[in-house]
Amino acid sequence: MKKILLATLLLLALCFNCVSMVACNNSNVAPEFEMPEVGYDGSEVTINFYHTMGANLREVLDAYIVEFNKLYPNIHINHQQVGSYDDVRDQIKTEITVGNQPHIAYCYPDHVALYNLAKAVVSLDDLIASDLEVTRADGTTETMGLTDEQIADFIQGYYNEGKQFGDGKMYTMPLSKSTEVLYYNKTFFEANNLTPPTTWDEMEALCEKIRQIDPTCIPLGYDSEANWFITMCEQYGSPYTSATGEHFLFDNDTNRNFVARFREWHQKNYVTTKELSGGYTSDLFKAQDGTRSYMSIGSSAGATHQRPDKVNDAYPFEVGITTIPQVDPANPKVISQGPSLCIFKKANQQEVIASWLFVKFLTTSVEFQAEFSMVSGYVPVIKSVGQNEVYKNEFLDKANGGDFIAALSAKVCLEQEAAYYTSPAFNGSSTARDQVGLLMQKCLSADANGDVAAMIKKAFEDAVAECKYQAD
Amino acid sequence: MVESKHPWKAWIYLAPAIVLLLIFTVWPIINTVRMAFLEGYSSMSAVGGMQYNFGFGNFKQVLQYKDFLSCLTNTMLLCVLTVPISTILALLIAVCLNAIRPLQRLLQTIFFLPYVTNSIAIGMVFAAMFNMVGSAFGSENEIVITAGIINNVIEFFGGTAVNWINAGSTYWANITVMVVYIVWNALPFKILILLGGLQSINKQYYDAAKVDGTSRRRVFTKITVPLLSPMLAYVVITGFIGGFKEYSSIVGIFGDDMGPTGDPRRLNTMVGFIYDALANKQGRASAAALILFGIIFVVTMINLYVSKKKTHY
Amino acid sequence: MSESTMKVMQEKDLRKVTSSQKAVKIAVQFMLYAFLILMAIIIIFPFYWMLISSVKSLSEYRLSVPTLFPREILFSNYVEAFNQANLGRLFLNTLYVGLVSTLLSLVITVLSAFAFARLEFKGKNTLFALLLATMMIPGELFTITNYATVNAFGWMDSFTVLIVPFLVSVFYIYLLRQNFMQIPNELYLAAKVDGTSDLKYLWKVMIPLALPTLISITILKMMGAWNSYVWPRLVANKEEYRLITNGLRNAFTESTGDVNIPVQMAAVAIVSLPLFLVFIFLRKYIMKGVSRSGIKG
Repeated sequence: MKKILLATLLLLALCFNCVSMVACNNSNVAPEFEMPEVGYDGSEVTINFYHTMGANLREVLDAYIVEFNKLYPNIHINHQQVGSYDDVRDQIKTEITVGNQPHIAYCYPDHVALYNLAKAVVSLDDLIASDLEVTRADGTTETMGLTDEQIADFIQGYYNEGKQFGDGKMYTMPLSKSTEVLYYNKTFFEANNLTPPTTWDEMEALCEKIRQIDPTCIPLGYDSEANWFITMCEQYGSPYTSATGEHFLFDNDTNRNFVARFREWHQKNYVTTKELSGGYTSDLFKAQDGTRSYMSIGSSAGATHQRPDKVNDAYPFEVGITTIPQVDPANPKVISQGPSLCIFKKANQQEVIASWLFVKFLTTSVEFQAEFSMVSGYVPVIKSVGQNEVYKNEFLDKANGGDFIAALSAKVCLEQEAAYYTSPAFNGSSTARDQVGLLMQKCLSADANGDVAAMIKKAFEDAVAECKYQAD
Repeated sequence: MVESKHPWKAWIYLAPAIVLLLIFTVWPIINTVRMAFLEGYSSMSAVGGMQYNFGFGNFKQVLQYKDFLSCLTNTMLLCVLTVPISTILALLIAVCLNAIRPLQRLLQTIFFLPYVTNSIAIGMVFAAMFNMVGSAFGSENEIVITAGIINNVIEFFGGTAVNWINAGSTYWANITVMVVYIVWNALPFKILILLGGLQSINKQYYDAAKVDGTSRRRVFTKITVPLLSPMLAYVVITGFIGGFKEYSSIVGIFGDDMGPTGDPRRLNTMVGFIYDALANKQGRASAAALILFGIIFVVTMINLYVSKKKTHY
Repeated sequence: MSESTMKVMQEKDLRKVTSSQKAVKIAVQFMLYAFLILMAIIIIFPFYWMLISSVKSLSEYRLSVPTLFPREILFSNYVEAFNQANLGRLFLNTLYVGLVSTLLSLVITVLSAFAFARLEFKGKNTLFALLLATMMIPGELFTITNYATVNAFGWMDSFTVLIVPFLVSVFYIYLLRQNFMQIPNELYLAAKVDGTSDLKYLWKVMIPLALPTLISITILKMMGAWNSYVWPRLVANKEEYRLITNGLRNAFTESTGDVNIPVQMAAVAIVSLPLFLVFIFLRKYIMKGVSRSGIKG
């Protein structure tokens, strides 16, 4: 016993001795990017690119790397799938500590906020603004930066996501996006003479009606509680978070009121969510017997999961897709999700420029955007893809609520291009997102002991406190 | 034990282990201690050039966390419940397996299967067994789609379904599920170790007992358990050390929220807290790890003290 | 239950069995089997789940009310698993890492455990306590430091980086030390008197006696290579060093980010089969026991 105690003391003493030795060791921060006067000098570089693409998307990417190399044969793209989005973040987070980060990576805004604590991400403004001419291997030239037409071609909500970091600078380029859409059982709606709701008030009336037609149903399923909360904030124009100053602003009357309203909906069995129902709400939507739902709000990229399985070679019902309900249909708001690309600082500026050229190629190439969208079910980020021959004829025009449900979903997404919003990104924005999701779950389902307002008030306060503790 | 003529010989035997441990375990621990005392340390910001003050700020923050006590209670509770249950069950199974004749091979093979089962499958099974799918469970107009296999069994025997892990479930229902899951997870390893240990007991002891006509109970308590006691001590001590680090099993059942819907973090543990902080608050995570270290250390000392008295070498 | 167990242990040696004893015997046997079979069913359930999941369709697998028996059995998952992932390569890599690290780790573990169990030296208990103490800090905290270390050593993307950092496990040293301590000290004293060297004694007496535990360690270590995920992904992401779990996760991720788990399960079942056969083979040694290996105390 004594010896063990002694041993620990020894260990601790040893540790303290070393503290002074290692207290300041990290100096792996890469130099700030500065545009060389010559632009891209044609030098041989290898670019590492981390993403989460499955096998079918990697095929598309490989095909377009071949195209890219016809223009820039000396830029070698070495890409790899690093598991999920979180895996990519964790991997890069570790690599940054020794300066091993890749050149380009799939990212979500909160990832970039994290990397930027280490000042690791290149701000793209200088690159975008550059009017240097770059000569390509086929003899043609292109402008290093983005032309005004190219910028205007981006769906604005997607493009502006790159500037949500509070310092006015642009750090990311959108690659492919998804949003939330309302899936509804078109066959059921037509049989009962119902129309899909455009506002939340209509939604409430519709749920009541559907409950009368089928008393054992839960008319609406909303997959993501967090998206629901954040989207409602945006639709009401009430504060959620801010990238600067006080970060967590979501504890306010408007937000408490809509949460209280949805709690009533939940108690009347109008609505359920993924966590509250214990499974994907698409399962209820697809169900053919027992408890089922007739509407489902979920990711536009998951359209095929909302389609019922075929029975005797035919779909039991047709799926309709439309924009989610709004507070003010004249000023619609829908969330924007899906990967963007960020570029990391490197000692060799040519590597940064080469990375930019590749990022620019992927995000502005109509053919790539079209093919990527068709294979993945994600929405392209530039509008001109809608006019692309193949994309239009082989994809959008075939859209229906059965075999071509992914196309139908993409079509709806492209039509609501003005409605996309993005939330501020800062160190702690993902915590806020987690917390409001949990808050929704709690306020909709918890036992209120008779005082709903007090329970909701406490839940909001706890969520803000937790956010502050995590971010502090 | 014998005094070796060459005391340095022992160090040669230990050299490879010590060298590797110094590099890959002791050095990271030193770094952990360092981060724990740098107030507000974050490895990302450190790369960005941020400087930190030396002090106890991280420890203070950990102790001030509003759910710190609940993390601690959950950790202790799960540990105290699961270690004895799994050890006793594993001992019984190992002894029984050793004692039967027909079907012995088949049953042994079955007890080996968990080692080739994918860890994802293990998590999935449990969700399927206890998960209740439906809406508004607990309110008057509830809609239950399925009550889960466990509840089906309970209802079959005339009981009423229990809300184990879903929205509105009670704390003790959650804990019961966790205990069952953790015990289940721990069993194969413990059976393997104890079976190996049983096989190392010399059969001559049993032969001698037979000649003396010793009763079965006495053979078990006077021969099997004492001779197996080093292995039992091992299983209990490492069980406690592992038990205090419980985390992934809770995520396996309840997901990253570590609690039923509507009551997140209800089942959060010390390591759960450390994981959260590890994302970008490495200083805070390290401080929590040192606090946890202190607790495990005290418990292990008590364990060692007790086992030294009871273990027969 | 413990009493009944002992009953069975002695059963075969009872010379005279009266009819009442016979009834007790049958009852005890019945309880014993009932207990073991019940536990076996509980323990085998995840394995069964893995098998049925491997033949389900993705949409059936995603059902919130899971089916206990697949509606339709899709062996196509196995075909897909075979075609999609570079299973042969992943398998060989994992086998190589598993075998080398198991072997080296066994040597280190045996030597250290022997020193702790049989040799006497200054500071032994202190050192042992320190070793135990290292187990009490969650290993996840070590990742960043170890990453920097292997990077400084220039070990990135190599088999070395997958093997060396985890060769020493205090967990196993402790286990084997306990097992060595079960072996009567008189054996060692006798060997000393005979003039047998420590190494020879270790090889000829200790290792055979501790064989069941060594095999347990082998199994655990091999499975470690099969299940490791975070570290290999971090330090060796190149195709030629990729291990099974990383390879499988990457191969069966859909474009939406969903993992096609049924196909993944099928792949796991395929690569687990050889492992399972090896374990069945090793099991014999675990169950063989000391008395039958012919060493007398």
